[in-house]
Amino acid sequence: MSTTLYWIQGGGCGGDTWSFLSAESPDLTELFDILSIEMLWHPSLSALDPQSKEQLDRRILEDEIPLDILCVEGSIIQGPSGTGLADTLLGRPKKDLIGALAEKAFHVIAVGTCASFGGFGTDQETEATGMQFHKHDLGGFLGKKYKSKSGFPVINLPGCPCHSDVLAGTLSALANDLPLELNETNSPLDWYRIMVHQGCTRNEYHEYRVEEKQFGEKGCLFFYMGCQGPLVKGPCNKILWNRRSSKTRVGVPCFGCTRPDFPPRHPFFKTRNIEGIPIELPAGVSRAHYMAYKGMAAAAAPKRLIKRKSGI
Amino acid sequence: MHSKKIQVMPLNRSEGDLEIHFEIDDGMVSEARSAGTMYRGFENLLKGRSPLDGLVITPRICGICCTAQLKAAVKALDMIAGARVPDDAIRVRNLTLMAEQLQNDLRHTFLLFTPDFTSPAYREHSLFEEAVKRYRPLKGEAVIPTIRETKKIIEIIAILGGQWPHSSFMVPGGVVSVPGQNDIIQCRSLLANFRHWYERRILGCTLARWSDVKTLEDLDLWLHEKPAHQESELGFFIRFSREAQLHQLGNGHPNFISFGAYEMPVNTGLKAPSAGFLFPPGFFNNGAMNPFDQEKITEDVTFSHFKSHGDPRHPFEETTVIETPHDNTEAYSWGKAPRYDGYPAETGPLAELVIASNPLIKRLLDKDGPNVFIRQLARLIRPAFLLPAMDCWLKETGVGNETFYQKNEQLENGRGFGLIQAHRGALGHWVTLEDGKIAEYQVITPTAWNASPRDREGIRGPWEEALVGTIIKNPEHPVEIQHTIRSFDPCMVCCVHTIEGNRPIAKILC
Repeated sequence: MSTTLYWIQGGGCGGDTWSFLSAESPDLTELFDILSIEMLWHPSLSALDPQSKEQLDRRILEDEIPLDILCVEGSIIQGPSGTGLADTLLGRPKKDLIGALAEKAFHVIAVGTCASFGGFGTDQETEATGMQFHKHDLGGFLGKKYKSKSGFPVINLPGCPCHSDVLAGTLSALANDLPLELNETNSPLDWYRIMVHQGCTRNEYHEYRVEEKQFGEKGCLFFYMGCQGPLVKGPCNKILWNRRSSKTRVGVPCFGCTRPDFPPRHPFFKTRNIEGIPIELPAGVSRAHYMAYKGMAAAAAPKRLIKRKSGI
Repeated sequence: MHSKKIQVMPLNRSEGDLEIHFEIDDGMVSEARSAGTMYRGFENLLKGRSPLDGLVITPRICGICCTAQLKAAVKALDMIAGARVPDDAIRVRNLTLMAEQLQNDLRHTFLLFTPDFTSPAYREHSLFEEAVKRYRPLKGEAVIPTIRETKKIIEIIAILGGQWPHSSFMVPGGVVSVPGQNDIIQCRSLLANFRHWYERRILGCTLARWSDVKTLEDLDLWLHEKPAHQESELGFFIRFSREAQLHQLGNGHPNFISFGAYEMPVNTGLKAPSAGFLFPPGFFNNGAMNPFDQEKITEDVTFSHFKSHGDPRHPFEETTVIETPHDNTEAYSWGKAPRYDGYPAETGPLAELVIASNPLIKRLLDKDGPNVFIRQLARLIRPAFLLPAMDCWLKETGVGNETFYQKNEQLENGRGFGLIQAHRGALGHWVTLEDGKIAEYQVITPTAWNASPRDREGIRGPWEEALVGTIIKNPEHPVEIQHTIRSFDPCMVCCVHTIEGNRPIAKILC
């Protein structure tokens, strides 16, 4: 028996799709073979003609074709003024089709931050929201009580974009009926229990408070450059991007793109701090302890780090 | 019997969804409008934000050309900061954009464009079965290696810039990364592998052999020279297109625009084919080449749902004031009509190669005018020009004592533009800063040029023009419409619109 998959895009950039194409060992096509996934529809990859696509939608909604996994990419656009007309399919709000498919689906996966929490456009005329969260709040488009036919809520895979391994791993778990443990925002713990900071090659700089104050200095980006690595959860430095690196490793601050309130209003490349101490401290750390620890750590910093000879 | 029919066709595989409204009059398209069906409102997100925030937000306009958006954004800020960008930073910026372009050109061709060759409309085509074998989504013999090889080439962006898609490693004055020798070696290996695949599978010959193809006779000679050429993806594409007569499809305005691609580092061993660029800027108007001057760009709102300020304005002067659709009955689009010196212009790989005076492309253009076949051919052969340049620049990166970043003054006030050639053509960001904040941000995307509505003279935009006059052989499967639009590599997530009632109202958001 194959597992059917339907991918739909709302208010998004397509980045989660293109990110998914970077899946490796197995790659996208191998993964679908191994899991016997039959892709009913993907807006960027399918070659169904428009009539057959309409027929497919009708047959799913009339229970003639089972829908095992519904992947939603991009926010649910409800504007302007609640009409949903800022995102339509054949003149009708796309959100209506997304809602109807969600009622038929065994599992629903929100791929990326926009589908999970609303992301770009949450405070604008597009009235964007996430599938079952609006920023930090449970609810979103489908409402607090929604459960797919499997009994799961919408499974959120945030990230801008979502990492290909996270989606591939989630699909594998679902297709094999393996248990999937979710965190407080309904994201699988396997990838969303560790901080982005973990595994960053600049960790030693953080440890001894060797700060980067100017681009290219090769220090820790947390204190001045706006890095949110110690503040947000995500596997960027554990599984790496495109099998090679991560933003923080090459010197781009983590912008906290897995956060339910991404994108934030405050400047991305600047840490909000008071006298050099960031206002937002690493998750769960007390200010007094952190200040004492960082003061001592900076004093203990070895010369090889201060001179930036580590080659990161 | 005279028959007239109005159809609305959703068109997927256009990087975001798009609907084409067209009238068929006795088997021929007599009128056409394109309507993107989604609006995300990125411009509003940028106003009032910190100047550098555009480097994080604008790449997220588009998941397939995010590095292009980043480069346009950073060039606008470079100009405001008066930054001198070190040579190695120019190389890293170019190399990452080129890697993204290789990815785009191959994915567009084999994941987005050629799947139409598997349409039932081609059942009688003598190469139909082979087309299905090659181009079936997720399974085709051209599709699987395209997915594998393109994801490897973008590893170059991850090595030099952290991740793909959506990194922000370019900053005013350079790039944040400091690649070491081993990083560059890794990039060179990835490039060598990709080149090997491109030569073996896509061209069926070496880059050197392909570069000898300069005339129509050369092309036929090349095609019939050996089976490897006929069986390669390029050879098969040519053979299929000839039988399907794609050169007779999608004729548009004979105007092309390029902002110029890949500026040269000051010190490089690469010979610049033209003043400072790998592909020169220019405006090609009905057979005549003109130097490019960004002052001549205007936006016309006659048929758009925006308040008119009288004459069309330059993007720096342009403000966006929405007019409700019924206030102006002529308007049918939320898209503005970009014009150069008053003319609509096609942009993309074909425009780049025409303006670069590529002999083969020029001869094909002289013979048939702009059409579906040469648009896609230009996209498929563009990597042949990028690969040797990338090789040269990778070898030069990190060799001297230069840094990858030069510190600049704080960004407070001023205005600047970043004009580049993105994968789909001319991309411009026009940025105004006031008191350390973004006051205005205007983006004109390549698709805005190609999908432009009419202007005040009633002149259609490039792909509207390309659709009108198209003969539809089988109304059940109007592949001619699909080919024409997809040959422009539309990016509707960059250039998105909205439908109200049954009237297409289109808004270019970015």
